This record gives sequence, C-alpha cells and structure tokens, in this order.
Amino acid sequence: MTATATQTLTTSGPDTPGRKSAATPKPAPGRKLSLRHRLRRDGALLLMVLPAVALLIVFAYVPMLGNVIAWLDYSPYVGIIDSVWIGWDNFARVFQNATFWHAVANTLTITAFQLVFYFPIPIILALLLNSVSTPWVRSTIQSIVYLPHFFSWVLVVTIFQQIFGGAGLLHRVLANAGFDGFDLMTNPDTFLVLITSQAVWKDAGWGIIIFLAALGTVNPEQYEAATMDGAGKWGRIWHVTLPAIRPTIILLLILRLGDALTVGFEQLILQRDAVGADAAEVLDTYVYYQGVINGDWAFAAAAGLVKGVVSLLLVLGANKLAHLFGEDGVYRKS
Amino acid sequence: MSTRTHTESLTVPRRTRRRSSPNRPAWEGPPTVLGQTGKSVALILVALAVLFPLYTVVLTSVSSNATVNAAGGMVVVPGEITFSAYRQILSGGIVTRSVVVSVIITAVGTILSTVVSILAAYGLSRPNSLFHRTILFVFLITMFFGAGMIPMYLLVSGLGLIDSLWALILPGAVSAFNVLILRSFFMGINPSITEAARIDGAGDWRILWKIVLPMSGAVIAVVALFYGVGYFNSFFNAMLYINDNAKWPLQLVLRSYVLQGVTLPGSGAGQVNVETGAVTGLPVKMAIMVLALVPILLVYPFVQRHFTKGVIFGAIKG
Amino acid sequence: MSTLGTRRAMARRTTAMIGAVGAAALVLSGCGSPDEQGTSVASSDGAIEETSLPAYVPIDAVEPDFPGVDGSPSGYLELPDPLVKGFDSPPGSGGEYTAMTPLWGTIPPTSGNQYLDAVSEAMGTTIDFQISDGNTYGDKLAAVLASPKDMPDWISIPSWNVPPRFGTGVDKLFEDLTPYLGGDAAKDYPYLANIPTDAWRACSWNGKLYGIPQPAEGNLGNWFFYRDDLLPDAELPTDADEMLEFVEQNTADGHYGTDDLWNIAQIMFAVPDKWAVGDDGKLVSKFETPEYRAALEWTATLFASGAVHPDAIAGDTSGAQQRFESGQVLVTGGGVGYYHEALTRMRATDPDFSIKLMPVFAADGGTPVLYKTPAAGICSYLKKTDDEAQVKELLTAANFMAAPFGTEEYQLLNYGVEGVHYTPGEGGVPQPTELAQTEIQPTYIFLVGAPIAIAKTTLPDYVENYTTWMAQNVEYLTEPPFFGQNITEPSQYASLGQPFEDLASDIARGRKTIDDLDKAIETWKSSGGEELRAFYQEIYDGAEQGD
Repeated sequence: MTATATQTLTTSGPDTPGRKSAATPKPAPGRKLSLRHRLRRDGALLLMVLPAVALLIVFAYVPMLGNVIAWLDYSPYVGIIDSVWIGWDNFARVFQNATFWHAVANTLTITAFQLVFYFPIPIILALLLNSVSTPWVRSTIQSIVYLPHFFSWVLVVTIFQQIFGGAGLLHRVLANAGFDGFDLMTNPDTFLVLITSQAVWKDAGWGIIIFLAALGTVNPEQYEAATMDGAGKWGRIWHVTLPAIRPTIILLLILRLGDALTVGFEQLILQRDAVGADAAEVLDTYVYYQGVINGDWAFAAAAGLVKGVVSLLLVLGANKLAHLFGEDGVYRKS
Repeated sequence: MSTRTHTESLTVPRRTRRRSSPNRPAWEGPPTVLGQTGKSVALILVALAVLFPLYTVVLTSVSSNATVNAAGGMVVVPGEITFSAYRQILSGGIVTRSVVVSVIITAVGTILSTVVSILAAYGLSRPNSLFHRTILFVFLITMFFGAGMIPMYLLVSGLGLIDSLWALILPGAVSAFNVLILRSFFMGINPSITEAARIDGAGDWRILWKIVLPMSGAVIAVVALFYGVGYFNSFFNAMLYINDNAKWPLQLVLRSYVLQGVTLPGSGAGQVNVETGAVTGLPVKMAIMVLALVPILLVYPFVQRHFTKGVIFGAIKG
Repeated sequence: MSTLGTRRAMARRTTAMIGAVGAAALVLSGCGSPDEQGTSVASSDGAIEETSLPAYVPIDAVEPDFPGVDGSPSGYLELPDPLVKGFDSPPGSGGEYTAMTPLWGTIPPTSGNQYLDAVSEAMGTTIDFQISDGNTYGDKLAAVLASPKDMPDWISIPSWNVPPRFGTGVDKLFEDLTPYLGGDAAKDYPYLANIPTDAWRACSWNGKLYGIPQPAEGNLGNWFFYRDDLLPDAELPTDADEMLEFVEQNTADGHYGTDDLWNIAQIMFAVPDKWAVGDDGKLVSKFETPEYRAALEWTATLFASGAVHPDAIAGDTSGAQQRFESGQVLVTGGGVGYYHEALTRMRATDPDFSIKLMPVFAADGGTPVLYKTPAAGICSYLKKTDDEAQVKELLTAANFMAAPFGTEEYQLLNYGVEGVHYTPGEGGVPQPTELAQTEIQPTYIFLVGAPIAIAKTTLPDYVENYTTWMAQNVEYLTEPPFFGQNITEPSQYASLGQPFEDLASDIARGRKTIDDLDKAIETWKSSGGEELRAFYQEIYDGAEQGD
C-alpha cells in the first residue's frame, strides 16, 4: 500500500465548488501503472459494476441485436434468420419521405423552445422552495406540486381542454365579457406554447425532486461564510446554491441534449387532430404513423437506430462543450 | 445553530428588524416586503395551478352520472355525490389481489434496482479506474439504443420468464439514468474523506458501506423513489409477458375499468347493473386516477424527509 | 424530465399506442362493428371457392317478432319459454385448452369463476382464458405470433388487429379448417353451419378456411344517431344540405348540433371503402373519387358552420359518447352497436332517454348506395397442430358456443347460471346479480358467435327500431369490389393512405383546402399509388375472368 501512501501527498488542486476532482490521485510523474496493478487497485470497483452490467447485457444488449432487422425485409412470420437482406433500403425509406425533415424540424424547434422555457423551471422552483423558511409551507407545496406527474396525458389534455378549449371555462368567461371564439387548443400557431405549458404543469413539480436532493447537500455554514464576505441574497445564490446543484444541472442538460430528438409522443398524438399534423408531427409520431402502425418493424428499427446514433453524437458533443466551459460533464478523458 | 453568535452581530439591531420567523436563518437578513409578496404570489399560483384541476378530478370521481352529464364533463360545482365508482373498483377480489402483486414487484424491484445501481455508480465514480470509460459507455449506450418489442418478447420467452413476475422486474432493473445520477452525487463527495479512510487501510467496499452510503441518503432516496414509481406504474410489460390474469399488477387491472360496460352485440355478458346506482364512464376514469395517486401520496412524505435531513456537514466539499 | 430516460421506455410507449389509437377510433363504433375506414381486411391472393365454404343450414330455434330480411338481424321481444335444449349431454371429450381473447372491460377472475366452470361442465371441454387488454391487443398479438411456442391453442383476432402481412403467415401458424368444415363436412357441426356464409368468407385466407367467425351486427356499420327524446317530432333531413341545416338549427346556447361526422359523411356520399370500379373496368382509388371530394367539402362546411362541438374539433374522440349522452350534442355518428350500449347505460338514471338511428338517405336525396361492411368483425384461429382429435374437440366446443338464441346453451353463455348469476324477472328477462358483474365478461363470444339476435328484452323500442331500420336498408346494400376478400398488400404501400387521414382532418378544420387534395393525390400516385392500383387490378381482373 506504499504506492497509495505516497500518492496521497499529491492530491489534486484546490476544490472549487462544482469541480469534480479525481478521487484517485494521479500517479507519481513518469510512472504508469501496470494492468495488474490497476486490477488490484480497482478490482473491487469492477466487481461492483458487474451485476448491473450483467443485467444490461442480457436485457438490453442481447435484444438490441434484434435491430438487425433494420437491414432486412423483415416479417415476423419469416423470422429474423430467414428474412432477406436489403441493405440500406429501410433507412432510405425513413429519409425519403418529405414529412421526415419537417418532423425533424418540428422536433428540434420544440426541443430548443423547451430548453429555454421548460428546463429551467424545475430549477427555479426548487430554488424558490428552498428559500422558503417556513417549513410547513415548504413541505405542503412540495407535497402537491409533483402530483400532476401521475396524471395520464389523456387526463392532462382533457383538463386543458376543459379550461382552455372552445367550450371551456375561459371561453365562457370571455364570451360573457364579449370576446367570442377563444380556443387555445386548436391554434397551430400557439401550439408550441401550449404543449410547453402542459409539460411544465405535468412534470416540473416532479423535476424539482432531484434538485432538492442536491440542495440538501449544501452546508449552511457556507451561506454564513458567504454572507460574511458581503454576499446579498443573489450573491448567495450565485456563489453557494447554484454551484451546489451545478453538477446535477450539467448532467441533466447534457442528457437532455442527447435526448433532443424526443419531445413527447402521447401528448402529441392526442392533439394531432386539433392542430393538424403540420404542427404536431415530430420524429416519434412520424415513425409511428409511417412504420409502427403498419407493423413495419424494420422501418421503426431503422429510424430508432438513426435516432440513437444522432443522440449519442449529441451527447458526446454536449460533453465536449461542457469541457470547454471547465466542467467535467458526464465523463472526462483525463 | 452554534455559530449564531458569530454572525448575529451582522444582523440589523432588534428594534428595527422586521418580523422574521424563528425558522429564518440569521444570515439571511430580514425579509423584504417585495421578496415576501413575490414569493407568496408565486407559490400561491403554483399551488392553485395544481390544486384546482386536482379538485375537479376528485369531485368528478365522486359525482353521479347525472351530475357529470349536467356539467358536460368534468364537474366543478358539486352536485350529487356518490362513492359508487370506488365501490365498484375496490369490491372485486381482483383489485385486491393485484395490489399484492404490485406491492411485491415494486418492493423486490426497487430493492434490487437500488442496490445494483448504487454498486454500479460507486464502481464508476473514479474516472481513472480500469475500463472506466468503456463501462460508462456500456451504460450510456442503453440510454439511446433500445430493443424492439418483438426481440424483447423472444428473449423473455427464451429465458422461460413468460408468466413469471421476474419478467416485470429484470428487464427494467437497471436504469442508466439513475446510475448516472448516483454517480454524479458520489463523485461530488469530498475526496479527502475517502483518502483519509484509505490511508487507514479501508478498501472500496468498506468505504462505500461506511462513508459514502451514510452521506448519500438524499440521492439514494430519490433514486429509490424513481425506481419505485417506475415499477408501480408500469403495465405494458405485464400486458405483454403475463398471460395468467391472476398475476396482473394493479395498473393493468385498473386500466380495464376505463371502458367498463362496453358490451358486444349478441351478448348479455359484461353488463353493469346501473339499476343499483352504479356509475360508468368519466367518474370511473377519475376514480382510477385518484386511486393511482394514493400510493405515491403515502410514500412521498417518507422520501421527502431524506432531502431535508441533510448530511454530515463538512463532509461535502466546498 | 424523463426519470427512466431509456430508449426502451420510449419504444414501449410507442408501440403501446397502436391499440390505443385503434380503439379510440372504435369508441363510437361499438365493439363488433368493424371500422369501415380500411383498417380491417388484409388479403390473400385467392378468394375462397364456394365449395370450400361451410354449407349453410339455417336453424330457427324460435320465431322472431321482427324477422330479418335477406340477412338483416332478427328481433325478439321476449325470451322463449321453454328454451330449446341444444345438447343432451356435454359434447366435449374433457380436454383443456388455452385461448387468448381481448377485453374492453373489467377483468373477471379466471379461476374459481362459477360462470366459466358451469360452461366448461356443460360443454365438456375446459377453455383456460388468457384475457388481454383490448386497447393494446395488437401489440400482444404481434409478439405472440412472432413466438409460436408461446401461442395458445385458440386465438381471437379482431379485424382491426389483424397483423400486416397476416396472409403470408397464416399457413404456418394456424390450422387449415377446410377439411373439417368445408362443404357438407360442416353438417357435423350444426350450429356452425347456422352461421351465414359471408361471415365464413370474411375469415378465409388464401382460398382456405382458417378463421371461425363472430358474425357482425348487421350489414351497415355506422350511421347518424340523434336524441329523439330531446328532438321529438323533428323533421329529419333527407339529403346532405338538409343535414347541415338540421345541425345548425339545433346549435343554441350551451349545446351544439353535432360532433365530428367525417366518417358518416363518407357513407352518406357513398365513398367506397378502398376502390371503385370505373366504367372502363379500371380501378379508381377512393381518394380520387368525386364522392370523396364532395364528402370532404361537406365536412369542411359543417365544421365552419359552428355547429360542431369545440371538443370534437379538438379531436377528443374519447369524450364523444359523453357529449352525446349528456345532451351537449344532439347528433352524433357512431357504430350501430352503440345504440343498445347507450340505452342500457342511460336508461337507469334517465328513463326518458332515447336515441334513434336516422333513416338512411343519400347526399343528393336520391336512392342511397350503401356498401356492405364485412359480415364478421372478429375471427378466431386454431393453432396448427398434428393432433386431429384436438382440432375436432375445439370445433365441437365452437359448435357449442355458437348455439343460437332460444337454446339453453345460449342462455348459459350469455347470462350464466340461473339463481347464481341471474334471477328471472318480468317476461323471463334475466336480472343480473352482483356476482354476474364480476364473473361474466365477454370471453367465449370472442371465439365464435351465433348469428346475431337482437334480443335486448329490456329495450323493446330498440329491438323494433333497430331491426326495422336494418331491414329497410337491405335494398340499398351493394357489395364493394373485393368484398369479403382478405388481400395481403405488399408492405411498402402500407402507409400510402396515411397522409389522407391528416389531410382530411386539416381540410375539415379549414387548415387546408380542397386544392391540397389534388396535390396529395398526385403524391399518392407517384409514391406507389399506381403500383398499388396495378396490384389490385390484377386481382380484380382475375376474379372477373373466373366468374
């Protein structure tokens, strides 16, 4: 264990908040650890990841091989082995349809919009709740604000319909005041705002949970220290609170960017007729109506693979971007 | 608040200090009118936005069909109240049995998933460790590439898990997202503590058990909550893999109540005897929604406690 | 934010929607009336020979009060007394078999269920049901059929859940029943021979008998309903323009004239299901027909008139029944099966509640042209096996299940055991007990059904109105091309019709115009429509020559 003893003397640099420092010190200069040595050092870690990896291999990777049907003229009755190889034909079919690019455009627009108007909401809400000093207020709000997460999308759309629809509450109130024809639910131009509001209402309250957990790790002494250094309310948030949840925010942001091509499915199918396919078509609904609904499994597999590759690239890209900003991101090369 | 005396001198002298609650930490300074009202308004709006629709859902679930028809949908103004929807759903033995099934799956699944995820997350918390990036990618890739429904079915069938409750636990047991969350928190722990333990001769298992876990109550609670909710609310897997209706979990059984009373042409089967004041349609759907909230309402307060419990101070870096 | 965040969750949700969307479209169709919009018949290459079809030997156990005309259903006002005994002793050989069926309703217990036990005993064969959620039945089917070793012995496949390219796989998976039931062989199973031939035809594939049918409720699947209790003595429309006036007149404060009528508009304008035959013998696609165009224009006018409920405009099909039954809309379009459903549901709380089917009319006020809907909406299939005894026993069981109205077996299958599941009420009408509501759900009916008997004895006005309406329409019925044929289309053309679905929705709501229809037709032609036409033309010409 002498190697470890000497290594502790060369612990990494000052710990600024938000920076994930390596838990293992770097080796003494000029010395590269041998494989056997690393095995001895990290053997326990490898053993620990084993159960999860085993489960993933069996239940995630083995069936993933089924995606090979993306290159086949697949019919469930013929089976995977006997289906004919048709190369990239299925992929071509995915791209060739004019609606494909429109769907992608819609998807990216929604992602961008929601990145600005939906992603920060749970953070703000968590900070807001965190700053409430009365415990009963805080826990009451916390106990109800997550509930809509458990409503089905059918119910969420119904509720919005009952309030904002053409025969809904707001319409009646406005009609009595002389403004007729109010119907938020069937307006393709405001659809972006509508679905973001629905998403916020349904999931923002659930999204604060993870930030509350992160905020709980902050030592109150830090707040005092910051106050002593002259920080006001916003200064404290900037120097103490936000840094504490920064790793979580970065992680979620990177993953959300990787997920950029997924913007909801059931929510959009339910409202497709109301605003029209032009406004409501996204990648997942495109794949559904072109492929899945006709039992075209190969088409769906091809589209899924394309989406997966793009998402992976997006995550890697976002991770690199995080490095540029001095963050560790999801992983770091060094 | 042992350090209170240290900072008290910084606060405004007592006579001019505005009313501030005893819960308010001293370093926060007095509350401003703008701040308080701003926060209150925001919180009230948030609360109303959630409570009003919740109110209509609950009210509709206890309304009779006549009241629902009069209201043209969701009920806002109370009319005739009846608990028939709940009685209908809860009276059949099937629902009670399915609750048992769901509880078993959720309990076993959550424990399995949480344990496995904690181990994996800690195993991935040292970026320099052997095969670190490869293993990380093993998890990451599963977040973006999935398997089709038919290959999954063939696998589950091939493993002999059709009609087994394990088919509802194992396929979704590991969520890479949850592992990454745990990993992020583990990596945020001050390394000097783990180093100190290592110098004392502790191995990774010991460090995990004695140091990391006790400090991670909040995030473990969160991840367990995520897994628990996932297991409890899932129904698609059960629909696909479970043929024996006696083994259906709650969510699947509840879904079958939604289209209650739809009959087939020549058949007298499946009739709801509305003579006895039974309800169909919207009140039943809403009752199912309310029942779906009950488990989480029961569980969440316990989980919430872990967020505010805090951790051993000084242990988290900064 | 996704808490699971895995692709797997997405894929599952994606495929879960197949059934959900399909079922949503069915909400007003009523179970048992296949959706006319073309999700039904897939097809084979050869229509079945007359000689391969089971011989039709009709049995009349009871004299109907409203006899059917030329295939329309018969109506009965009372339960016959005494009931005819179909079997002196249980006909089965004591075997136990598994069966998979869908259900849109509360799941009954499958063990310790007195109803199921009683039927098994009377039948002499035990059927272990694997009941699956009706909304996601399509997914379940797709998975089970891909894994033959997990297939049960008997599978129900509704026409709207028929997997694509089923015709190519049916030989491998299911037993060919032609040797057992074709021609005079059917006489061994008298109650199966009692099922109309068109129903058997709808369940045949590749020129052979595979499926056992559940006969449909009538030859016309959907039409306009109206609240005749709220609109007594109303002058009903006799053409499309009068229909518009009718709904506009009935839109006043608080309620609207109608819900979304696009589906029924197509029937009113006699839009063909898929293809029409031009004068030159060439096939014309439904989308190219002037009838389709006219129906679209009419629907657009309807939506623009303000008579359509805003929730319907917003595409909320799940609330359609609610809106109609609560009086928020006075006219709706629905499957004919909805008639008795609504009455049963509403009469208990509102004895004056009444709805009626409007008399059928053509858009131009002339003689209506009604295309027949398939004679069987649900077929069930026997797993392929070498065990001839198994097939015979299952067919014997099917024979039992198909016992017609008026027999003891029919009473047992539909109402259960007297004293346990029902008590005889007025006029012999069974009053279900509490136990019946948990134990008796549609199960056997998904495997095979007797010819439809309209015998809702608690709803005498329904029996009369419905059977009369059906009988009146018989003279207007005509068979569309490819009627009763199950043709398997090449998969690359499967999604050609999808843009028209969205387009219809857009045009109706004023987001697009009729000119966009022309563009869509051009796109359809160039992206495979012509090839599809040629494909069907070949089949059509072949059939024509064969006559």
